[in-house]
Amino acid sequence: MFKELDPLLHSQLRLAIMSLLISLAQADFVYIKEKTNSTSGNLSVQLEKLSAAGYIKIKKGYQGKKPKTTCQITNLGQKAFQDYLEALKSYF
Amino acid sequence: MEEKNLTQQESLEIISKMIKETRTNIEKGGGNIFLLWGYLWLVIALAVYAIIVQTGDYRAHWLWFAMPIIGYPAMYFMIKKKGSSTVTFVSKTISKIWVVIGTCALFLSLFMLIKPSALPILFVMALIMNAGVALSGLVLEYKPITVAGFLGILLSFTLLMISGVEQILVFGGFAIIMLIIPGHFLNSAKNV
Repeated sequence: MFKELDPLLHSQLRLAIMSLLISLAQADFVYIKEKTNSTSGNLSVQLEKLSAAGYIKIKKGYQGKKPKTTCQITNLGQKAFQDYLEALKSYF
Repeated sequence: MEEKNLTQQESLEIISKMIKETRTNIEKGGGNIFLLWGYLWLVIALAVYAIIVQTGDYRAHWLWFAMPIIGYPAMYFMIKKKGSSTVTFVSKTISKIWVVIGTCALFLSLFMLIKPSALPILFVMALIMNAGVALSGLVLEYKPITVAGFLGILLSFTLLMISGVEQILVFGGFAIIMLIIPGHFLNSAKNV
């Protein structure tokens, strides 16, 4: 029996973001952009979607004069990622 | 990365690729903090030794307080200069180890101001610092640091067998074994 995959996570970039954040205590925007090979615009949109769902926490601040965005996975995000993996297993 | 419909196989590939990207325990220039504290420790030890030998004035030990006064702002500046605020669980754990070790060292130093002969202070300091290095090496899973830490723990006991001003020289030598050599190793390592 196939389990339903969370549509919010079943997207290339959002899944990549969550896979990065699950292994890190926190990551900044530039790091995520580099590792996922995404554009700033697309990444911002997907981060906002994940944040709106409560899967990640976004902290905006400044480092010197430069704006700095830091992301961290929430407990809800960890649970959603785990559930996604469980659902994925049912397909193999 | 484009948005498109994913197959289950592609999902697995993305997850495994991204997790692999974060499996770097050692960051570029990761040994610089070790080198900062190591050279600072060595220079201060040599200065304390030289002053005591030249003047016989044991108040030279006050110079040890220059370590946190110079070390912490320099470390803050180095971390800020690095720019990235991405934190791995490994680096977070190591920071916490050194917060505990640093707190112990601070309280020990302050206690020695009240009761200077209560403890063989250089031995106790060397022991806890080497324990910190060994723990860092184990968390990083990086052999040169682990070996340096355990070797340092063992050699710390020599401080109980040496007396007088030579103790300071041996104590200074620990900086080379436990911080300077591993720091250079760490900087030359690309990855674990």
